Amino acid sequence: MATGGAGEDGASGEFYLRYYVGHKGKFGHEFLEFEFRPDGKLRYANNSNYKNDTMIRKEVFVSPSVLREARRIIQESEIMKEDDNNWPEPDRVGRQELEIVMGNEHISFTTSKIGSLVDVQTSKDPEGLRIFYYLVQDLKCFVFSLINLHFKIKPIQS
Amino acid sequence: MRTRGRLLGRSPSVLASNRDRFDPLADAGKPGHGPQRSIEGWILLVSGVKEDAEEEDLYNAFSEFGHVKDLHFNLERRTGYGKGYAFIEYESCEEAEIAIRAMNGSQLLTKTIYVDWAFSRGPIQKLTSTRPLRRRSRTPPRRLAALTC
Repeated sequence: MATGGAGEDGASGEFYLRYYVGHKGKFGHEFLEFEFRPDGKLRYANNSNYKNDTMIRKEVFVSPSVLREARRIIQESEIMKEDDNNWPEPDRVGRQELEIVMGNEHISFTTSKIGSLVDVQTSKDPEGLRIFYYLVQDLKCFVFSLINLHFKIKPIQS
Repeated sequence: MRTRGRLLGRSPSVLASNRDRFDPLADAGKPGHGPQRSIEGWILLVSGVKEDAEEEDLYNAFSEFGHVKDLHFNLERRTGYGKGYAFIEYESCEEAEIAIRAMNGSQLLTKTIYVDWAFSRGPIQKLTSTRPLRRRSRTPPRRLAALTC
């Protein structure tokens, strides 16, 4: 990014993040989803009909520092430079969605579930998919900590 | 705005559909500014943590201000080193507040760390649209202080 906006991406400006992973099958729609809104609202939804049939829906406001940390994790991953053109299409096993608005960039990626690094290596875009694969894990880790510490509930892996 | 990606309105997203009600925290009946208490205590975010720091370094540093009830020091999945942040839980607001004052901007293993509340009672206010906050009713200062912690 050669234009003046590069520095602004860090701490201010527009920011939105949403991640979804899930599938529809024998036990209905099982999924995990979370989002950070520009005003700091963190929303979290988790549904696993296998263990219990109640959907968990939680929301809480996070501080500007927490939003800044989420931005940092995203920025350092360089996911905003990637494209999902050559990633595996969502299938019966499941789908993932990652939507991020940062500065004047908006990504809205979708792909299948990724079981392991083997799926990454054998894909048509191993470099891009690896970035996605690790970023998603780091973001989940960040959000699970927030949810776990605030509500004292353990998220169910979808 | 430059948009990239294949996702075009066929998402099964529950959040985007906006139909469902979400559960806020039980005592969220006190909206406004300032930190939000969590179920069992007060949570701080520590950022700028050196990648080769260990959980023990953080535990030792933050135990000086009170009993650290819980500590999450998450690792980067790719490298196995610290991801650069930690969450710390204290029982009381006072302990957390003292830790922020003492540790924000301090050095941990030669790197500057930043310490702040993790949760807020209300939305982030845009700096550009700050109207002076006018109290609707005259709240005695003592009660205001009680709300902060």
